[in-house]
Amino acid sequence: MQTRPPTFWERMLAIDRRILYLLLFVDIVAFLLLPIRLRAAISPPVQKFYDEIEKLQPGDLVMISSNWSASTIAENQPQLEAVIRHLMRKKVRFTIISIEAQARDLSHRLAMRLTPEGDYEYGRDWAHFGFVPSLAIAIKGMVNNLPDTVQRDVRGNAVGTLPLLKGITSLRQYKMVIDVTPSGTLPIWISYAPKETVILYCPTSVMAAEAYTFLDSGQIKGMITGAKGSQEYEQLLGIVGLGTPFANAISFSHVLIILFIFLGNLALFMSRRQNRQEG
Amino acid sequence: MWWQIQNPESEGRILVWAIVLGAFILVLGLIPVLHALPPRGRRAIIVVVTFFAGLFFATEFFTPVGPDGKNFLTDYIQPAQQMIQVISALALGLGTYGLIRLHLRNVVQRRPQWGYSVVLLLSFLVMAGFSIANTLSEQQLVEKTDFLERGFALLFDFTLVQLDAAMFSLIAFYIFSAAYRAFRIRSVEAGILMFTAMIVMIGIVPLGAYLSYQVLGLSPAPTPKDADWITVLVHNLALPKIADWVLIYLNAPVQRAIEFGVGIGGLAMAIRLWLSLERGVT
Repeated sequence: MQTRPPTFWERMLAIDRRILYLLLFVDIVAFLLLPIRLRAAISPPVQKFYDEIEKLQPGDLVMISSNWSASTIAENQPQLEAVIRHLMRKKVRFTIISIEAQARDLSHRLAMRLTPEGDYEYGRDWAHFGFVPSLAIAIKGMVNNLPDTVQRDVRGNAVGTLPLLKGITSLRQYKMVIDVTPSGTLPIWISYAPKETVILYCPTSVMAAEAYTFLDSGQIKGMITGAKGSQEYEQLLGIVGLGTPFANAISFSHVLIILFIFLGNLALFMSRRQNRQEG
Repeated sequence: MWWQIQNPESEGRILVWAIVLGAFILVLGLIPVLHALPPRGRRAIIVVVTFFAGLFFATEFFTPVGPDGKNFLTDYIQPAQQMIQVISALALGLGTYGLIRLHLRNVVQRRPQWGYSVVLLLSFLVMAGFSIANTLSEQQLVEKTDFLERGFALLFDFTLVQLDAAMFSLIAFYIFSAAYRAFRIRSVEAGILMFTAMIVMIGIVPLGAYLSYQVLGLSPAPTPKDADWITVLVHNLALPKIADWVLIYLNAPVQRAIEFGVGIGGLAMAIRLWLSLERGVT
């Protein structure tokens, strides 16, 4: 039996995946490099996040829980950078803690790079508590007795001797906790952090959908969703950081995905119609 | 706590070392005893330890606290955390030992693809060496030389971080390919799902704001109070507003329902683990 050559729509349905990969690669690289900067609409969770930090007073203490590794650097690094810049602008002091081994170095090096911008001095304005293996137990311990639980910072200093933590004995004395994470650490903070402490959340985009219940209930007061949330936050701060180019590249990769989903469905419809016509 | 060494300097270094050495000998002595136990005896130990550990944390969590926010178990949380740190470190050490033993055996016995094992062992040693040296230099226990700084930056910032990020970013390509092949409108439900997904995908990114406010000229301002229904409709037609509405009013209740289900399942699983009823735990 002689077989007819595949039609255009059939070829579309069986398109080589390497062509799709190439198209996406070109799309992302082009929109990262092109100077197209679309303004974002500020979403309510990002606006609430910004407003909560604006309420802080100079000298207030904030705990940043940085639990991301390099795999989610494209989403979590712009978030952490924007948050640290805002805290420094408000002259708010902060400490960082990590339950991810790689996050310890990533967040420490990032803070070391950013803090000179705000004339922040280690030990006086900020500190890094390093890596803790069990977040739930660490939070319980920090609420109970922070210096005994953390003991030493990444530089080997006894945390009780840091000027930043003079008179600080409990996590209750912190005004705010900011969880920058790609994993399910938020429910742990909600369960074990002091009830009077404001919790803000910086998840990756895929984690954000789950957090809307906590936003709705008021258990978290604001959220920066992935790189696109970082762009909104950078817009509120009036700066152009990593989030802005990343969000633009994401915008146009979404367009490409939608376009190809549409083409895939059109190809299926057309090839079925041709098959019906051919009997 | 009475058993903790608060100040090694004042309590004497010899006493501290004696305690550490004693604990080490005790643990080393326990290993052959545990090995000699029959499987039922080992299982009994694991069951008892798991039960009491779970009982401690559950009792501490559910027991009412006083005005100082503590109950009779709260002070023991911090030593428990230190125990977990020690156990985690031991587990890490055990994992490292197993990994190195396996790959050394691959190399020594020239097993298939033993070259990869050489790469792993070399990478492990070099990365561990530079990381430990870097941590010690941060704590000013060794000098931070230019070689150390450059070496760590090369290995961590320019190799590990880049490889890790590149591996994860590959998911985007698979998602694109899978979405093209699998996302077919074969039913009304699939059509609704696709339409909603497209609205959210475009609505949450800057392009959605651009199309709505720049191209279509819709107002980004909140809906005026006491506005007629046409004004309300026009104010809420922007893609970012529709996407927010979907996320808050459709996504959140569904997520809550799922989380309730997961929570109940998690509770059941936790009770099974606590009572060592779960297969494979012991």
